[in-house]
Amino acid sequence: MDLVLRAVAMFVFLFVLTRIIGKRELGSLQPFDLLLLIILGDALQQGMTQDDYSITGAVLIVGTFASLQVLLSWMSFRFPRTRPILEGEPIIVIQNGEPIARNLRRERLTIDDLTEGARRQGIAHLADVHFAILETDGTLSFLQK
Amino acid sequence: MLGLIVVVCLLGVWNRFGQTSSTSRVVFPYGSLSVTAPSALRGGDLWSAVFTVAATRNIRHAVLVLDSGWANGMAINTIEPSPVSETSRDRGRLAFTLGPIAAGHSFTLYMQFQVNPTTVTWRRPQDVQLDDGNVVLASVPRTVTVYP
Repeated sequence: MDLVLRAVAMFVFLFVLTRIIGKRELGSLQPFDLLLLIILGDALQQGMTQDDYSITGAVLIVGTFASLQVLLSWMSFRFPRTRPILEGEPIIVIQNGEPIARNLRRERLTIDDLTEGARRQGIAHLADVHFAILETDGTLSFLQK
Repeated sequence: MLGLIVVVCLLGVWNRFGQTSSTSRVVFPYGSLSVTAPSALRGGDLWSAVFTVAATRNIRHAVLVLDSGWANGMAINTIEPSPVSETSRDRGRLAFTLGPIAAGHSFTLYMQFQVNPTTVTWRRPQDVQLDDGNVVLASVPRTVTVYP
């Protein structure tokens, strides 16, 4: 019993954590972020399984995670009002070539981040961007003028 | 398929795969014997058992006899308090001498275990018996299942 409950608690914790961390960190994994992710996974695993080495335990934890993930996506599909909470909302960071400082601050994005993202999509100057949007998965989308 | 996964998880919540403890208790003319331990476990689980003998009459030479299922495939980490003596009986049973228990008093024995990760078993007998010397006073029938 406790194994499933621990998995639920960790799922909720991870969900809240991803909401707090913000889109930018999730969208761009730097080498240090990758190391943190591995350590995070190890710490979570110990908290959930403790000394349990069984297949049954692994099935229960993975099954609980999968079930909760499906539940969240179903809630997001069935109740559109929950989407901003469950999936977050895309944020406009450039409008008509002008960076929106308030939104950049909120997501801890710099102009350098924007120009780097623009370069990756073959855009030389931010002034050429009609809209830049920080998507819910942390990636930047650019719509040119 | 997803429904099957959910059902398995719900069975886990309902303690089908361990390791929540339950208490079995028998009353006999000299008092009562209760055993608190999980009946379902998984490989690697750390778990504990509590044996309580409450005497209503003097038990002069209490001996707690555990089936071999308590030791097979398990690591016994702790026995507190240490029994006066330990020995083996037929069929690999463990016999712990607890000593005298006066009427109106109780004796509680705590044991800590860990399931060996390779142990897998289905409803292995794990009976507990209380003797006064060579006389059987009470017996608690139990089984344990260890899931892979």
